[in-house]
Amino acid sequence: MAIVRKKPEMIKQQVGWCGGCGHGIIQRLIAECCEELGLAEKTIQVVDIACAYWSIDTLNVDGIAGPHGRCAAVATGIKKVYPDSNVYVHAGDGCSYVIGLSETCYAAQRNIPITMIVVNNGIFGMTGGQMCPATTLVGDKTVSSKKGRNADLTGEPFDMLSIIENYHIALAARGALYDPKHINETKRLIKKGFEYQRDKKGFSIIEILSPCPTNWKLSPVLSMEKIKNENEQIFPVKVYKDNGGDK
Amino acid sequence: MTKNYELMKGNEAIAEAALRAGCRFYAGYPITPQSEILEYMSANMADRGGTFIQGESEIASMSMLWGAAACGERVMTSSSGPGYDLKQEGISYLSSYNLPAVIIDVMRYGVGDGEITEGQDSYWIATKGGGHGDSRQIVLTPASVQECADLTYEAFDLAEKYRTVVIILSDGGISQMIEKVVLPQAKEHDKTKFDWAIKGRKKADEPKVKVTNLDRSMDYDEYDDMMRKKFVTMHDEEQRWEEFMTEDAQLIFVAYGISSRVCKSAVRYAREEGIKLGLIRPISVWPYPEKAFSNLPESCKGLVTVEMSLSSQMGPDVRLATKFRVPLYGYLTSKYVPKATELVEYCKNILAGNEKELEVL
Repeated sequence: MAIVRKKPEMIKQQVGWCGGCGHGIIQRLIAECCEELGLAEKTIQVVDIACAYWSIDTLNVDGIAGPHGRCAAVATGIKKVYPDSNVYVHAGDGCSYVIGLSETCYAAQRNIPITMIVVNNGIFGMTGGQMCPATTLVGDKTVSSKKGRNADLTGEPFDMLSIIENYHIALAARGALYDPKHINETKRLIKKGFEYQRDKKGFSIIEILSPCPTNWKLSPVLSMEKIKNENEQIFPVKVYKDNGGDK
Repeated sequence: MTKNYELMKGNEAIAEAALRAGCRFYAGYPITPQSEILEYMSANMADRGGTFIQGESEIASMSMLWGAAACGERVMTSSSGPGYDLKQEGISYLSSYNLPAVIIDVMRYGVGDGEITEGQDSYWIATKGGGHGDSRQIVLTPASVQECADLTYEAFDLAEKYRTVVIILSDGGISQMIEKVVLPQAKEHDKTKFDWAIKGRKKADEPKVKVTNLDRSMDYDEYDDMMRKKFVTMHDEEQRWEEFMTEDAQLIFVAYGISSRVCKSAVRYAREEGIKLGLIRPISVWPYPEKAFSNLPESCKGLVTVEMSLSSQMGPDVRLATKFRVPLYGYLTSKYVPKATELVEYCKNILAGNEKELEVL
């Protein structure tokens, strides 16, 4: 039987991201997972006021953006009011791990059954490509680390999932987008997060290594190569915690 | 005879009135002297079918409120002093999309950490604050435990009527005192009745709701026009105040909250001595009750603002309300609750020509 690929109905209009950006792939995976699980009509998206924001226009579901970095707290408020809705966060590493690390950790600490999809592209994209304290690799040049990130001045990137996995949550995992195999695996992780939310098993976080060719100043192909050869060395693609079967 | 009243702290009255108004979401962070509100919510919210969250910070609590308010739920938070500073981000965002919410600020005295005791020096941040950008919030000031209940109960209706943030500006004195209070009737709130609220149940052909930092369902100029009209309507319609013995007064106190209670005593004491004092007690401080100053009696030689602050934070509003035409004196007591007898002496000095008008604004 032929595999038919059709565009999810949730996607209503053209995306606003740069060419070669990973956000579009991630948004498509989110939409496919929502529809395949029959959750499209009960989905509420929480986007950060950064590159993920474009999704609020593109997807035909109720959506909310809020103060930068506060997505996990906003999603907590929504999930408490509408516990049977499929509430997910689509946000970057700056939102989730830098300005909003506290909100992310405390949504995990409370084990709020939401699904956080964190785009790790190692840079502050929306504001023009500044260094991301949590994820920019040492030596990487950005507009706020022009000679390359200097660990003596700014510390080193850190794998936040290695902390978050210790909370009593349902799922913590990292995916990547640099080849179809990894895209499919990432989709399975997102779907698992939504399923755990649906089954009230708790908080899930799926971080995705994603390219930003515009701000990395690399071609889309070379951006994917960089992720595979460099970023994945610091941020391993793996499942950190899968506690969904326990309760 | 069954008693129809309770003995409650101001803070408890605020919390119970909120629950009776249908508030079903509270998130906040402990800080003196408002923690009883948070504690009361922690004990009683679940029984009413709502959500209580002790947030990891005021900032996160406000963001949780933003999410719950966007769902059409009746939401409230409370704080004081430095904690209230951290609420400004959230107030600005709630105001940008016109989400109704009730925020309690129980003033404590001082800058930085300051003191944990009563003060009235958060007037500026409550009435002129609300974070960056042009936005206005209705600010109501209770002067009794009964008013703590009544104003909080009504605040939720006002918040929805104008789609605005309503701030209850209490102080450590009013919030910590215990008085009789007749509590309002409990009512239920239907969170699904608003077309602006997100519900998360959408057929593909239904219009979706986008809650963002600007209401982009409309044109930018249209948005600005709507906001301006809203500010004007709230300003014109929601001025509230109480007048006490002003008809023949030579000097009229202007005071709210804890200070206004002392002023009332001072008016009574002075009149026993034949000195005619009066009181205008603003109940709304935004909008400022300018109408209260439009027909001051012929006998009035001046106004006396009484505030627990270092600067007269309310003075500029009184000057604007009177168009600078009436002499204004200031009795500022910083962290000390004013004494009625001292207020009377101060007024005697004014009448004898021995006091200067308020200089520093």
